[in-house]
Amino acid sequence: MKGFVIDTKEWLSETARIFRHEMSLVFSDVGVMLFFFFLPIAYPIVYSLIYNTEVTRDMPVAVVDNSRTAMSREFVRHADATEAMKICGYAADLQEAKRWMAEKKCFGILEIPADYTRKLGRAEQPQVQFYSEMSLLLRYRTFSSSIADLQIATGAQLRQMTLDDLGMPSTGETSTIGSVGFALGDTQQGFASFIIPGIVVLILQQSMILGIVLLGGTRAEQRRRLKGGGLPVTGDSMSPSAQVFGRTLCYTIVYIPLSIYILHYVLHFFHYPHEGQVTDYILFILPMLLATAMLGQTLNMMATERESAFIIVVFTSVAFLFLSGLTWPRYAMTPVFTLLGDIVPATWGIEGFVRINSDGATLGLEPRPWYWLWGLTLVYTATAYLVTRWQTRRG
Amino acid sequence: MSTGFLNVVRRELRRLTSRPIYLVGMVLVPVVMAFFFIGMLNPGLPLKVPAGVVDLDHSQMSRRLTRSLDAMELIDVVEAPMDYHEAMEAVQSGRIMGFFMIPEDFEKDAVGGRSPQLTYYFNLSIYVPGSLMFKGFKTMGVTAAGGLVQTNLVEKGAPEALAGVVLQPLTVNSHPLHNPWLNYSYYLSPSFLYGVLELMVFLMTAFSITQEIKTGTSPQWLAAARGRIGTALLGKLLPQTVIFTILGWGMNSLLFHWNHFPMNGNEWWMVIGMPLFVIASQSFAATICAILPNPRLALSICSLVGILAFSLAAFSFPVEAMYGAMAIFSYILPVRWYFLIYGDIALDGWAVYYARMYFVALLVFPIVATLAAPLMKRALRKPVYVP
Repeated sequence: MKGFVIDTKEWLSETARIFRHEMSLVFSDVGVMLFFFFLPIAYPIVYSLIYNTEVTRDMPVAVVDNSRTAMSREFVRHADATEAMKICGYAADLQEAKRWMAEKKCFGILEIPADYTRKLGRAEQPQVQFYSEMSLLLRYRTFSSSIADLQIATGAQLRQMTLDDLGMPSTGETSTIGSVGFALGDTQQGFASFIIPGIVVLILQQSMILGIVLLGGTRAEQRRRLKGGGLPVTGDSMSPSAQVFGRTLCYTIVYIPLSIYILHYVLHFFHYPHEGQVTDYILFILPMLLATAMLGQTLNMMATERESAFIIVVFTSVAFLFLSGLTWPRYAMTPVFTLLGDIVPATWGIEGFVRINSDGATLGLEPRPWYWLWGLTLVYTATAYLVTRWQTRRG
Repeated sequence: MSTGFLNVVRRELRRLTSRPIYLVGMVLVPVVMAFFFIGMLNPGLPLKVPAGVVDLDHSQMSRRLTRSLDAMELIDVVEAPMDYHEAMEAVQSGRIMGFFMIPEDFEKDAVGGRSPQLTYYFNLSIYVPGSLMFKGFKTMGVTAAGGLVQTNLVEKGAPEALAGVVLQPLTVNSHPLHNPWLNYSYYLSPSFLYGVLELMVFLMTAFSITQEIKTGTSPQWLAAARGRIGTALLGKLLPQTVIFTILGWGMNSLLFHWNHFPMNGNEWWMVIGMPLFVIASQSFAATICAILPNPRLALSICSLVGILAFSLAAFSFPVEAMYGAMAIFSYILPVRWYFLIYGDIALDGWAVYYARMYFVALLVFPIVATLAAPLMKRALRKPVYVP
């Protein structure tokens, strides 16, 4: 019993020493500072600036009007008034319009048939064609919602005319079923409001891992130099678990203010969806920080020098973004990819945080991601311990 | 010139095979990532979005509406929450992506001419399934309304065929050219494959150049090239150009031949564009190294730019909608130009004449690198390693 007490005391003082040393390393290494501070502080702002306009509107559209009547011109005016379209000119025929499209003068072509007015007069439903250039899906998506509006607006006007002509009572007197839709989460329906709340969580994870691997690579270089008479690495002689816990404590404490900055202030300043309670999302993100710190120390296994951080970590950001389900929903993935996503802390971090932040869920409604994060923390603690023990024994 | 050049090439081949990190960065990562994206995005559109229906009416009409919703291609009705709050909780816990609400007395009101209102909620915090669900719900709302108006008109004595026309006096047919399936993967897969290739070219170029400075072998490298910086860079980077170009061609054949991505133009232009794209990316990284001959800074800049490229190169968000100052950055990214070539040649199938400026843009990068090379020569002669 007495021995256990002494060991515990010894262990705690080793942990404290590692913690203090790691803190001083973090604040004296410009490379680490770049990852730990510059990246999480600047990146969310850069991303916000890229996507801040949220939507694309008034895209140039060419008109091929084979009808050339007052009614077809009115239709074109309606089209010009929609959010997505801006009529950039009349083309003589479809060939000319297509050439304009190839020259990037327009992104869409509206073709009105020769019998447009005649068919409307006979109540025969004329067919207007719209061709959309497809090198970007977002353009088509914007066009397609404006076309629906155009069809409803012109349709209502024309319907009234036809009914009047037929001498029938207007539809206003009969029953209609109205329908109205509400967007949840991303209420502005913009691109930035959807992608930023997820990306900031990924930035937390990736910047922390980069910094940790950089520190790990530095230690590995120092160990190699030891053979040539260099100084031993501080902590290598201490218990591996004290090293792991001391460093984790350091990284987590550094990242708590950053998390508040990213998850609260950035979203607040740029007017992104921001519904949840501070206590909910900070408590939620804590196990993600812990799991990430442990994952980073596990990845140190591959860090043989300072610069390896770039080659083995940077590209994973792209893969992790996909695995998180932000751009591609996780329920549509094959089991292999769901499983791969499961073992990345940011996947669960993004899933839970987006729901708390954008959909206004509480921590109590997100037990699954939260338990997963604690589970990952346990697993990666074990692996980080093994890696640290292996590295310091070998050294 | 030629012996110096061959000296450097031989020296570089020895270096590339001496350490596993080159194999990892130049072959393993791009190959694994290529199969990763192709495997992940294969299904095309994520259909069957999980949805809920809150039926407060419990009538024959509301049940029919629920069944029609479930039968839609885009929607999978998985839950029947009792009320709005229960449905909202299901959204917040992620079980459903949105819900459709049928109000009380829906059937009675509809038949009695009191215009009931259907409401639907869709979660856009996950964009793609959210907007698919919106499309499905909106269609259902309009169809339900249309069906009722038609019944009413027929009751009032209009011929059935005419009633249909009155309902929708004109139709606008949308033709998404060359991608009628609206396959999202056509945009995501190539942009990410080319983006990863560019990122790894950036990193490996910067790594292999600055490694010489870090280990102090750069004077020896310069000496092998007989003191000519042009020969030194060409000899060092050419073996990497070959490797990355072969990888890029492999990625393209993975896309166009194994996965039958659209190739509506002349594929040879994509083939010719690939080495230009690789050289442009190498030149970009070499220019960075010339300006900042320090491993950490050069690699940091290359990483930052390489990762931002996925957003900045405007594969998903158009450049013309960005702030002007941000849009400028997308022009200095080689991957943007290659992706535009992909859009013009492969997707849109235009003649190469219309894409000519994109090829020119790729050729500008090596010119800039040539201008920056003298700066690098100075750094190579007296290597200083700052960790």
